Amino acid sequence: MSFTSSKVTPWEQRRQRPPKGKSGKELAHESAEKHVLGTAVYIDDMPEIAGTLHAVAGKSTINCGVITKLDLSGVWASPGVVDVITVNDVPGDIDISPAFTGDLILADGRIEFYGQAIFAVVAETFEQAKRAVQAAVIEYTQEEPILTVKEALKRDSFVNPTHTMTEGDVESALQGADNTLAGEMYVRGQEQFYLETQISYAIPGEDGSIKVLCSTQHPSEVQKLVAEVLDVPVNHVQAEVRRMGGGFGGKETQAAQWACLAAVFAARLNRPVKMRLDRQDDMVLTGKRHDFLNRYKIGFDNDGRIQGADIELASFCGYSADLSDSITDRAMFHVDNAYNLHDCRVIGHRCRTNTVSNTAFRGFGGPQGMILAEYMLDDIARKVGKDPLDVRKLNYYQEGEHTHYGQPIEDYYLPELIETLEKNCDYRQRRADIEAFNKTSQWKKRGLALTPVRFGISFTTTFLNQAGALIHIYTDGSIHLNHGGTEMGQGLYTKVAQVVANEFAVDIDMVRVSATTTDKVPNTSATAASSGSDLNGKAAQNACITLKKRLVDFAVDYFKVSADDVRFENNHIVVTGSDGKEDWVSFAEFVNLAYVNRVSLSTTGFYKTPDIHYDPKAERGKPFLYYAFGATCAEVEIDTLTGEYKILRADILHDVGNSLNPAIDIGQVEGAFVQGTGWLTSEELLWDDQGRLSSASAATYKIPTSVDIPEVFNVALYDRPAAADTIYHSKAVGEPPLMHGIAVFCALRDAVSSVAGYQFNPQLDTPATPERILNAVMECQQAGE
Amino acid sequence: MIRFNLNGRWIESTDIDPACTILKYLRTEVGQTDVKEGCAAGDCGACTVMLGEMTEQGIEYRTLNACIALMANVHNRYLLTPSGIGRAGDLHPAQQAMVDTHGSQCGFCTPGFIMSMANLYQNACINEKQALTDDEIHAALSGNLCRCTGYRPIVDAAKKMAELPKVDVSKISTRAGVQTFDPDTQTLSPQPLQYKDGHRLFMPYTEAQLKALLKAYPDARLWAGGTDIGLEVTQRFSQFDTIICVNRIPELAASQDTGNQLWLGACVTFSQAENELAESFPSFAQLLHRIGSRQIRNMGTLGGNIANASPIGDTPPVFLALDAMLEIDGINGRREVPANTFYLGYKKTVMQPGEYLRGIRVNKLSAEETLTTFKISKRYDDDISAVMFALYLKVNNGTIDSARLACGGMAATPLIGEKTSAALTGKPFTMETFKQAADCIEQDYQPISDVRATDKYRIQVTKNLLTKAFIELNQKGDAA
Repeated sequence: MSFTSSKVTPWEQRRQRPPKGKSGKELAHESAEKHVLGTAVYIDDMPEIAGTLHAVAGKSTINCGVITKLDLSGVWASPGVVDVITVNDVPGDIDISPAFTGDLILADGRIEFYGQAIFAVVAETFEQAKRAVQAAVIEYTQEEPILTVKEALKRDSFVNPTHTMTEGDVESALQGADNTLAGEMYVRGQEQFYLETQISYAIPGEDGSIKVLCSTQHPSEVQKLVAEVLDVPVNHVQAEVRRMGGGFGGKETQAAQWACLAAVFAARLNRPVKMRLDRQDDMVLTGKRHDFLNRYKIGFDNDGRIQGADIELASFCGYSADLSDSITDRAMFHVDNAYNLHDCRVIGHRCRTNTVSNTAFRGFGGPQGMILAEYMLDDIARKVGKDPLDVRKLNYYQEGEHTHYGQPIEDYYLPELIETLEKNCDYRQRRADIEAFNKTSQWKKRGLALTPVRFGISFTTTFLNQAGALIHIYTDGSIHLNHGGTEMGQGLYTKVAQVVANEFAVDIDMVRVSATTTDKVPNTSATAASSGSDLNGKAAQNACITLKKRLVDFAVDYFKVSADDVRFENNHIVVTGSDGKEDWVSFAEFVNLAYVNRVSLSTTGFYKTPDIHYDPKAERGKPFLYYAFGATCAEVEIDTLTGEYKILRADILHDVGNSLNPAIDIGQVEGAFVQGTGWLTSEELLWDDQGRLSSASAATYKIPTSVDIPEVFNVALYDRPAAADTIYHSKAVGEPPLMHGIAVFCALRDAVSSVAGYQFNPQLDTPATPERILNAVMECQQAGE
Repeated sequence: MIRFNLNGRWIESTDIDPACTILKYLRTEVGQTDVKEGCAAGDCGACTVMLGEMTEQGIEYRTLNACIALMANVHNRYLLTPSGIGRAGDLHPAQQAMVDTHGSQCGFCTPGFIMSMANLYQNACINEKQALTDDEIHAALSGNLCRCTGYRPIVDAAKKMAELPKVDVSKISTRAGVQTFDPDTQTLSPQPLQYKDGHRLFMPYTEAQLKALLKAYPDARLWAGGTDIGLEVTQRFSQFDTIICVNRIPELAASQDTGNQLWLGACVTFSQAENELAESFPSFAQLLHRIGSRQIRNMGTLGGNIANASPIGDTPPVFLALDAMLEIDGINGRREVPANTFYLGYKKTVMQPGEYLRGIRVNKLSAEETLTTFKISKRYDDDISAVMFALYLKVNNGTIDSARLACGGMAATPLIGEKTSAALTGKPFTMETFKQAADCIEQDYQPISDVRATDKYRIQVTKNLLTKAFIELNQKGDAA
């Protein structure tokens, strides 16, 4: 059954079987057929309105300083140019920050990073606009930039104040520890590399209103910022997105600038304006995953049991705060991963640098924190001479303990999940086989790692945990569904539609999902933090409950039965009469009956996550409703002469509670694993000594291809309902599985350390390119000599 | 005038700018938005289309990146796009399999994958053959990036499509009939194939025509595969007064086996070369699998790879190691130059205005001779080399009679390592010899640090590759 059934199935047929496509079952993505035909419409695919202009940003060619001359006459004179603006032409606010301040629509005299947008131009064609920006004459006075985390730390350059989470007495714990290890690792960022680059299409309307079609995870924020920039009330702006060609966090805040610029032009010229970043502009102009400089000192007993940890994280925020405060917090929340660090201190610096402002990317700081936990655990294992998995087992949280930010450990079945994976993937035998292989193989070495994932679910800014939905039922029984969540490929529209079909017990083709738009469901949160189906699924369910109650109340009144005698089943409403006889009325017929009896068939639904709280001053609370769990065992082979490697096998077991759609969830797990693996292997985000992004194209920034996936790749969902009261006891799936890629990184380091008989902890920063692997191998060889 | 078939419909147009790419034409001129732009640089494959050419065996299709391929590519050919090979409720097997395996998520890369898969299906599945190997699938998909799925369901779809009911897309291409063309209608004609706003593109079909054009336009930009010209258009927004397309000249697009020599036309594509080098130079053919992607290999040519004089082209080091001869022709007549004298400096060669590279001549290897190639890059497929390593050896009775090492990515041009090669020559074929020769690498090469690797790594890995070459040759016993 697909979403787009061309023929209407007779109701009699729909009665003979359970509804198709209900929640919990595999169902193809609602747009799958359109995807494969290329007919799924992205913003750039929409037919252009006559008179549409194309906008391009003019970029700075220094990293830090002040503009002393801005001569745009050449730009104005370029063929096809219709309008050119600077920050002075913006009618309203020029600050488009999501949470703090400092993110500007266009540079305001000061340059804060190489490539910062200084002006923008619209022309009749995209190519004309691209050529026109090259004609600008701009002079600057260069100031001394801060281009690295280390430099920012040295100069106390931060976008937000440093946070510290403390548990117990770390100094005494480390002093009293049997052993201590200290080190640092540099974790590089990651380019989102959504296949569809940033795009907005602004269409002017009456009375200063404007409609912005925007590829964004956060239409409500785009709406609000466009209103502020244009200096009009929010109700004059509509932001809409049917689908994105990938988001991954990169379209949470980073879509707004282009939407605002397009809107400014559209309002000035009263013409439709499209602003699409081409790949090179997208890579230079938009933020990425933060680099982190992680330092640690960890104390442990002779068995490898952690006694205390002193951890310092420093994130590479770029020139402004954007979302860096929450991102750095999330890194701090996840440095424990599955393990009790006991007495510990976790410090998180938010480093301000003269680079593009880094932003959300799947995991939102969590991965950069979590990888440190696994790095430290491997260090401890080699120090005490044990299998790393055994050391991990010694350190799992126990039920009833709490984290370093005070969240109680509940429903902690991660150890059982790991146990299951360990058995299913034959970990012990393969460990022995690999050690034997490494003894006889001179040049090729193999590595193995089994690492867990424990990821906290909820926005850590508590008020964001809310969502709305809107449902109409029409008189033929067809259902129109709208909610605040956006579709970026993750299958949210499919899952929420399944929830609605499930609630009314109708076939999925009765439900039509419509584009996310701010005039249907207002004041929404970003589709982020893996929260899409948790929040919007519940909101849609609440709307269904409201409508069902109206329908049942109507049936009670109309058929003169009690509420218990009315049920939704197989696309029908089944009414049991006092004689026990069942009356099956098709959903369409029943809905129409309700309509002619003047029952409202439209309602909103709302949901807010219960039971969470966090005090950012005390750094304590229960920021997460629950944790998503998983574990991966990865096996790799490295070439010690070149540092090249391949992933031989990966076994993943992941916990999504009761899956809303196993096919989509497996897809999320696999895709996230490969994305996480790419982050830690071939994707190297590099800046040169002037703060210019050197890996600014698909030719220099290498995301995995099909041949890079593990030769043997087993992915399974852990079969256990979530304890929390989530939608059908499912668990969020967007971000957590990204961190399965850490197993590959640990396996690579395991293979490298075999060169020194597992006696030595080689330095390995990320990504583990062949170059870094070779350097680590040589470090081991020298240590072994 | 350009004449071509789009999804079964014949189109003639006199109004297309020579620098207009297929993608731009499809999306902005005819509203064919089923083909997507992901990078506009031939790196992501979202814009993949199938291009068919009528042969005696019927239409032969290949994939290419519409984003960097100029419209002249489609002249007299058959173009297919995702919405042309299937429709809702009647999907092509590649499309149906992709739906069945949940192979799309955001869907933006999907149309490109579908075209790569459909092309593979057309070439390998409609003629009885059933199961595709993983290697065939990965080779077909090497130029398609997906950021959502992690590829597993896509690879599964490629396996599954072979089992679905057969569909032959050439029937779609030919549904408005087959038109035949006589290329000689343009004999010596000065008429450009395309002309707009002072920009012109010529498509000669003979070398005589080409020479006449070079005489008239000695500064014309020659276009063989167009993978670099395409980038200049889409990345730098360059414009060209005159482009001459040389890849329709049969002599330049063919190769000849003369027994102990191989002559490769300059316009032989990497894909063609994969087959044509497979027997005589298996190591070279293997390397070709890792140059660009399938789409790029279907466009890019050996001659282009040599003549654009990039220091990081993958085939020039191999031709240097093989001591190839390069045949140059043009308005001043024909000449041959050894590959090792071809490069004068960064992006500079001995070629003069009005000249073109005609072909490459290589001696086949005797039983005593070997060629070893290694490509080092961050990613296995579709990446540019940090180091390209090619080593020719002639070993007789345990002694190295002759050695020639050439590397890419190690200097401003592809470069022979003279001292290293000398250090190997005349020495016994032992690990010791290779280790000693490795000490010469730093004298031969002073590479730079860039986004692909540091200078230190480039040196270190090149040294290690000598060891690796010895190990591999020794294991094979070829050179012992």
